[in-house]
Amino acid sequence: MLGVIKKTKAFFAGRKGVSIWQPYRDIMKLFQKGYVISETTSWVFWFAPVVIFATTLFAALFAPLTCGLSIFQIPAAFIIFAYSLSLGKFFALLAAMDTGSSFEGMGAAREACFSTIVEPAFFIAMASIIALTNDMTFMSFLNILDDSGVYGYIIILLLALTLFIMMLIECCRVPVDDPTTHLELTMIHEVMVLDNSGADLALINWASAIKMFLFESLIATLLIPTNLEIWQMVLAYIAIITILSMIIGVVESSMARFRMTHVFEFIFIMTITALIILALVTYRIYGS
Amino acid sequence: MELYFTSLGILLLGAFSSIFVKEHWKFKTCSAFLFVSMLLMLVPSLESIFTGRIFEYNIYLSQILGNVNFVIDPLAAFFIVVISVMSFMASIYANGYLKQYYNKQMNLSSHSFFFILLILSMLLVVTSHNALFFLIVWEIMSLSSFFLVIFEGEKKEVLSAGIKYLVYMHLSVIFIITTFALLNIKSGSLNFIDFEPVLQANKGFANTVFLLAFLGFGIKAGFVPFHNWLPDAHPVAPSHVSALMSGVMIKTGIYGILRVLYFIGVPSKFVAYTVFAIALITAMYGILYALAQRDLKKLLAYSSIENIGIIGLGIGLGMIGLAFGKPLVAMLGFAGAVLHILNHSIFKCLMFFGAGAVYCKTHTKDMEVLGGLIKKMPKAATLFILGSIAICALPPFNGFISEFLIYFGMLLGMLNTNIAMLILFVVAIAGLAMVGTMAMLCFTKATSITFLGQPRDITIYEHVKEDISKSMWMPMSFLAVLTLLIGLFPQYLVKNLMSVFTEFVKAPCIFVPLNVLKLMNTISFCVLVLCGFIIALILFKKIVRKKTDKYSTWGCGYNKGNSHVQYTGASYVSLFLSTLKPLFKRVTHIKKPKELFPKEAHYEQNIEDIEEAYIVKPLLKWDESFLSKFERIQSGNIQQYILYGLIFLVLSIICLLVFGG
Repeated sequence: MLGVIKKTKAFFAGRKGVSIWQPYRDIMKLFQKGYVISETTSWVFWFAPVVIFATTLFAALFAPLTCGLSIFQIPAAFIIFAYSLSLGKFFALLAAMDTGSSFEGMGAAREACFSTIVEPAFFIAMASIIALTNDMTFMSFLNILDDSGVYGYIIILLLALTLFIMMLIECCRVPVDDPTTHLELTMIHEVMVLDNSGADLALINWASAIKMFLFESLIATLLIPTNLEIWQMVLAYIAIITILSMIIGVVESSMARFRMTHVFEFIFIMTITALIILALVTYRIYGS
Repeated sequence: MELYFTSLGILLLGAFSSIFVKEHWKFKTCSAFLFVSMLLMLVPSLESIFTGRIFEYNIYLSQILGNVNFVIDPLAAFFIVVISVMSFMASIYANGYLKQYYNKQMNLSSHSFFFILLILSMLLVVTSHNALFFLIVWEIMSLSSFFLVIFEGEKKEVLSAGIKYLVYMHLSVIFIITTFALLNIKSGSLNFIDFEPVLQANKGFANTVFLLAFLGFGIKAGFVPFHNWLPDAHPVAPSHVSALMSGVMIKTGIYGILRVLYFIGVPSKFVAYTVFAIALITAMYGILYALAQRDLKKLLAYSSIENIGIIGLGIGLGMIGLAFGKPLVAMLGFAGAVLHILNHSIFKCLMFFGAGAVYCKTHTKDMEVLGGLIKKMPKAATLFILGSIAICALPPFNGFISEFLIYFGMLLGMLNTNIAMLILFVVAIAGLAMVGTMAMLCFTKATSITFLGQPRDITIYEHVKEDISKSMWMPMSFLAVLTLLIGLFPQYLVKNLMSVFTEFVKAPCIFVPLNVLKLMNTISFCVLVLCGFIIALILFKKIVRKKTDKYSTWGCGYNKGNSHVQYTGASYVSLFLSTLKPLFKRVTHIKKPKELFPKEAHYEQNIEDIEEAYIVKPLLKWDESFLSKFERIQSGNIQQYILYGLIFLVLSIICLLVFGG
């Protein structure tokens, strides 16, 4: 996926671009390297990449992978999904502060602050969908249309928009953050991992790639039409994920990142769409 | 029941004997007595929890009190377990913590005496079923904790915080007395058991009683807007006392609310909504102010307010479930609340012990001058980090379990109900999510500024010689293990505590508890998988060892930056707090640099509690100006006072003649 994004960006920049498997090669390369660790750090710094990767994998068990099916089908999975990602973030923040660097402190402050606003919006959207479909698993995404008719299309679109914005924020893509910038002052996520190296960096990068895949997978599950055969659904799923990655690439090629103060406004769009979903759902259930 | 009274007797003996032993042995004696009494306490209370048995004992105390009924039912037993285990931990910890006060002419005798008296009175509060006796032990509890708070009473801020605490506690007692007086008038009895029929017969009366009791006990528990004593009293008390107060004592307020609720049975919808809304506000308010603090213990005190809010959310959810006749929702709400009481007392004690360890070694509570302490005190730091994961309600620790139960209850509650409840619950879910992430922001700040990075004040850092002593880290690690165990295997705990929740939800069907248990089993399994992942990755990283080089932190090319370029606690949260400016009252003292070569400049910013600044202070001002009008009466002239006495006598005789005849 990261590969697809890079390829799209390269296409827009008029280059040929690297192979779409390049991110995996990078990760393999990093695994073979040694560590360079700051003198200021403690065991927290050593431990953090482990937790970040483990929690992301763990979250992957709950996210729908194809056709709304996830490995663990349990009720209220979105709470565990969000909280386990939070645990990873907790350690990412601690590790960033552990280096005692002002840049990493800055990144940590930004990341923590944004997620504080993102999370409630996500919970509002998810709770509304659950109220609509009476289903607490992620399978509820598939039933939106059955339960709400015409409104369903609007709700699905809004939910997709909400999740897309959330992905941009959580995975730190343009226009919230620019992962390829060379200036520390403007970074969020990248600046937090400035001092990580070797396998640590590989774990963190891999984890953020998986995280991005999870969000795309959520959106894909939402958008897949439900009246298809299984193999068609799987194909549609893969197609949607590819298209999403390409959209991100297009966004990144055509937009500059926002100023830090405008990021808040961008995040509040997500809150507003979540609230509109809630309003629609309420209207659908209790209206007239 | 005999065991219970024996154990109380042992505590009393311990209180007096600790006065007479030497300074170094004081808290060792305390711990020994507390240990014995804890064991004795655990026998009947655990039996009551496991089997749902109710122990009762009647004593005729005096003419006024009449028969005093002592009851250990599962609810009381649950609180007894929390109180006795936590106070034993606190007493062990006190051994290490009080070392810094030895040979300094501190009055440790009264301290240890009141410490045990506080525990004794708490144990009595949760068992006595006689209103008057309840008030007496309640007052003993408030007073003994007041004396514990003013341990360092020669400092001005300690004394003023103590007095504020005392005033608030008496405000709370006024409401509780009114509650019991009303009940006494209606039922003609002081025993709790006679209150029940009166309350259940008259719904309107029950609502009034509950709201009054909620006011009274809510002040003790620290619900917004009555929380104001908490962030002042907790930081100034010695750490084991603040742990005991925050972890255990404020829960007696919750106990009071639960007990009244128990008598009422099914609350009215309005009352249930009120409790729910107040609790939500409390949780948000508490954590928001915790974020802004730079005093470590004050931060923890505000986070206690947040957690009381979460407990309140559980209770409110349970009440809504009862009021709307949804047993499963009610069950989940009460289960979440009861579990969170236990969880909060565990991790809050742990956190206060950690903060005390920092204070003990550095003699400061101001986070902004600390940093890098993890290298000097690795044990304290590690335990503190574990505590903060638990308090942020992140899996696999215990805080997650209780919050998950509350979340799940709310999700169930909003299905197939009315429009108001749907919106209320969705807002509450978002609110709880926000509280969770803000807690994460708050506690990453607390741990990283205190323990991680580079020291911000090198003199304080070098003053720290060694890690904390054994008597301090032992209870802390016990509590940390407990948080993890509850997080990993919640199903056993929930199963055994079932008798406590079922007291409220007189559910006709058996499937309700089963559903909750099934949920807990799933959670436990998931969390174990997470732990498996983490352990596997640790092993992987240990095995695949690579060459490790050590350099200084990347400074964008600057190599000689000092520790002052680090992010501070204030700057860490400022981005977030700047979006919520109107909610804070900032008091800034600025001394601008002057002249060409400025000699001194000073910038200080304090954040005041908005409720204190805009409600309490104006009220106090008004009160003062009102009362000062009566100053003239108090002239200091003896003859005048005698005249007042005469006028009063004459007036009362006239009153008697007019109205009495």
